[in-house]
Amino acid sequence: MLNNRKSKMIAYILLIIASIIMILPFLFIIFTSLKGDTEFVSGQFTFLPKAWQFENYVAAMQTAAWGTYFKNSFIVTFFGVGASIVVSLLAGYTFARMNFKGKNVIFIILLLGLMVPPQAVIIPQFIIMKHIPLFGGNDLFGMGGNGWLNTYYALIIPQVAAPVGVFLSRQFYQYFPKSLDEAAYMDGAGPIRTFISVYLPLSGPVIAAFGILKTVHIWNDFFHPLIYTNTAEMRTVQLGLQAFQGEFGIEFNLLMAATLVVSIPLIIMFFVFQKHFVQSLLSSSVKG
Amino acid sequence: MKSKWNSIVPYILISPYAIIYLVFVLIPLIWVFYLSFTNQNIFSAGEWIGIGNYQKAFSDNAFLLSIRNTSFYWLFTVLPSMIIGLVLAVFMNTKIKLAPVFRAIIYLPAVMSGVAVSMTWIWLYSPIGGPIYSFLQSFGLSSKDLLKDPATALPAVIVVGIWISIGFSMIIYTAGLQGIPNELYEAASIDGATSIRKFFQITIPLLRPITFFIFIMTTIASFQVFDIVYVMTGGGPANRTTTIVNEIVRRGFEDFEMGYAATLAIFLLIIVFVFTLVNYIFTPKENDLN
Repeated sequence: MLNNRKSKMIAYILLIIASIIMILPFLFIIFTSLKGDTEFVSGQFTFLPKAWQFENYVAAMQTAAWGTYFKNSFIVTFFGVGASIVVSLLAGYTFARMNFKGKNVIFIILLLGLMVPPQAVIIPQFIIMKHIPLFGGNDLFGMGGNGWLNTYYALIIPQVAAPVGVFLSRQFYQYFPKSLDEAAYMDGAGPIRTFISVYLPLSGPVIAAFGILKTVHIWNDFFHPLIYTNTAEMRTVQLGLQAFQGEFGIEFNLLMAATLVVSIPLIIMFFVFQKHFVQSLLSSSVKG
Repeated sequence: MKSKWNSIVPYILISPYAIIYLVFVLIPLIWVFYLSFTNQNIFSAGEWIGIGNYQKAFSDNAFLLSIRNTSFYWLFTVLPSMIIGLVLAVFMNTKIKLAPVFRAIIYLPAVMSGVAVSMTWIWLYSPIGGPIYSFLQSFGLSSKDLLKDPATALPAVIVVGIWISIGFSMIIYTAGLQGIPNELYEAASIDGATSIRKFFQITIPLLRPITFFIFIMTTIASFQVFDIVYVMTGGGPANRTTTIVNEIVRRGFEDFEMGYAATLAIFLLIIVFVFTLVNYIFTPKENDLN
């Protein structure tokens, strides 16, 4: 008992220290974002701001086109996550519940996709993007214009191609009893009706797990917007933050304010859906 | 008629995914191999130059440095973050009341984007009154900009890498620890085993599959490191922090040497492929994590 109490004590102390170390940078962000401009002149660091200037947030949001950046990020995240879920659930359901010719071969080819880091195929992906026919000034043969480059398509469609969602939903649908399909079949429902009226209403957990995973992924994505966009109008919040630092990097109070604003949506989401977050992390880990 | 329709339904259901996958993953995957043997750039489709790009890569100092840097980053982020993650998970598993709070705080950095993380640490390291800089200076340790000094830039980036990857190890280890039956520890206690002995003789061996899994996942992620490097240092000073992906981006989208960038991408592809394959081969088919 004594031993147990002692080890609990040690656990508390250690976890408090670790938590402080992990959370300290966040406190620095918050307190720095509230400091007055003059507090940086001396070059002397103080933990708490002297002035508590909440108007820094207004100033930071007004110094760049944050409205546009947020709009872009919301659009790309919303449609990217939505399209990923729909497309992945359909494919996952098909692989889990139906038999068709070539099923295993097709599935193994999909398996291959898990081994492909997105950065490794970015060069040909970029060339394909540029030559999508009849878009961005391209002719029927994909020549002459910029295709999907610098459009929402470029930021949304490749996100849908990630195979994790198919694996998650296949795994999810696999464990339902066969009698479920048979009952639906008896009622005269075809596979599509069965999916919509029987399986879709049961899909909450997999939609939550995959949806969270994908939301974090797309909202935080810096790599693809960096490659695929080249105008300020198409910037997502991550690109906007980077550009902001390039222009106003010395004004750390505004930079920290912007950093916090960009991170806030996911931080809120994390605290609200904490349980689902952990679940999504675990389920995505068990792929294959 | 009905059965004919039913036999094509599966193909219709997978086709939205399959088409996007084909166009944006599968074709690029094959194409990148082809590109790596050409001198294609932004101006011309290029021609076949055999292994020219590969020979160039082996004498390309920036690329060789990027391999070295990425390997260092991998080695010095994966092991420390796994060890710290394990220790934290073990202590959290002692059923203390505030465990969920601690877990949330420690996982928080993993929710932030690479750019936001970079901004935070640019400030922490900043010589204009940044906390870490001021802290070191008050001990007379350093008056240099850690991110701009060739000797300290990579270690400074690695510290950030550890900070963002502890959360993942901790969460997965926590799940793994919950799968170890309590009776094992109780039996060991009756035999008079100390906590430390229990840790090394029960916890570590039983967590082996999970340790392996975390190792592979964090390894793959660390070989793809890009955002924090690109934003914090741009690969500098003098290529001291450049990584494989950073070189792919630089060659492909700043110098517009698509063929050569594709060659560098092949190296990344092979590294990730090998680790994924190892994972696939050594992980039991029905995963026991759940």
